[in-house]
Amino acid sequence: MPDEDAADLSLLEALDHLLDRGVVIAGEAIISIGDVDLLYLGLNIVLANVDAVARVSRR
Amino acid sequence: MRTVVIGAHLRRDDIEPAAAALAAGGVFLSGVEVPDDQPLGDRALLLRVAETRAGLLDRATFIAIRYGFAARSEAEAAAKVAPHVTRWQQLLSDHRNDVEMTLKIAATTSKPRPDRRAFDSGASYLKALHEATQAATIDEAFRAAVEQKLVAKRRKWIHRDNQSMELVALVARNAIDEIRAAGEELKRDFPHVAFMLSGPWPLEVFADDDHE
Amino acid sequence: MMITNDEERLRQQLSFTESTIPSRISADPEVVENGLARLVLAIIELVRRLLEKQALRRMDGGNLTEEEIERLGEALMKLEEKMAEMKRVFGLEDDDLNLSLGPVKTLD
Repeated sequence: MPDEDAADLSLLEALDHLLDRGVVIAGEAIISIGDVDLLYLGLNIVLANVDAVARVSRR
Repeated sequence: MRTVVIGAHLRRDDIEPAAAALAAGGVFLSGVEVPDDQPLGDRALLLRVAETRAGLLDRATFIAIRYGFAARSEAEAAAKVAPHVTRWQQLLSDHRNDVEMTLKIAATTSKPRPDRRAFDSGASYLKALHEATQAATIDEAFRAAVEQKLVAKRRKWIHRDNQSMELVALVARNAIDEIRAAGEELKRDFPHVAFMLSGPWPLEVFADDDHE
Repeated sequence: MMITNDEERLRQQLSFTESTIPSRISADPEVVENGLARLVLAIIELVRRLLEKQALRRMDGGNLTEEEIERLGEALMKLEEKMAEMKRVFGLEDDDLNLSLGPVKTLD
């Protein structure tokens, strides 16, 4: 596969391992109504496992 | 300043100078320092941590800490990991030269997702959902080939969801090339089976305390 | 190292890991595609799915009480029901709730 795609997938896989099947939502957007631009939206959300240290929660 | 913790290592020089080291009573924790006002949800930070993690693995195996633990002090970090230190020391010295490899495989059969409307209790629904994740099977011939070609110290098959299975293998660091060769063979011999072999990774699954 | 014989499928599975938002979003209620409601619901849907995955992982661990299982299951059922309702209200299908990352990466 092309180099950029390979690096891309590698990064996704590395993130998958880092977050342990968590998720990243990222990006920037302009929110508008019709042709009128109104708001800038910047998102950087990470959803990750709550228990970083104890990988399996045991009582 | 906070330190986003990456892993638990046996020795301080397994960490420095690639990352910051925090002493935690018997093990050392690696981390990346971030200013207090930088949110942990920052994508650039995540990428930096992922990169540091890979660099640390080059030095010696460590126990992976999931992203999200940011310690404000060495004392705080040490206190948080204290219950695990003895077990971790053992794991880290037993597996100093081992790494994990991951093989993800698309399922050939799977149970359809249960319809919530068919259940009258939360427990029965959740149990049915759980059962559906366990039901996925993969190509038998492929599985047999994996068992035969992927030589590993330990193997664990995991049902992560109802559309795939995953094999996590604990292998000697110097066997990575053989694993790569096995992966190429599988790719060649099973063009119809969707899979992905990746690694090396630090101790993740094999650091879990439910591991026999 | 990564060896795969199905990058397409791999991307789809891994796409769960990183989603981006469209660069233009319409707050106009008449607009469904790239609308604000779609974005918000897509994020809620993603959270819902992750919650489900985590609950299932706890089931794997085998140390939830019957009561906890009932509580989790009940909550997940209700969340799913709410999402179905919201989709109806905004005229959205499952496919609409994909946070696309370029040509290939989608939520599911």
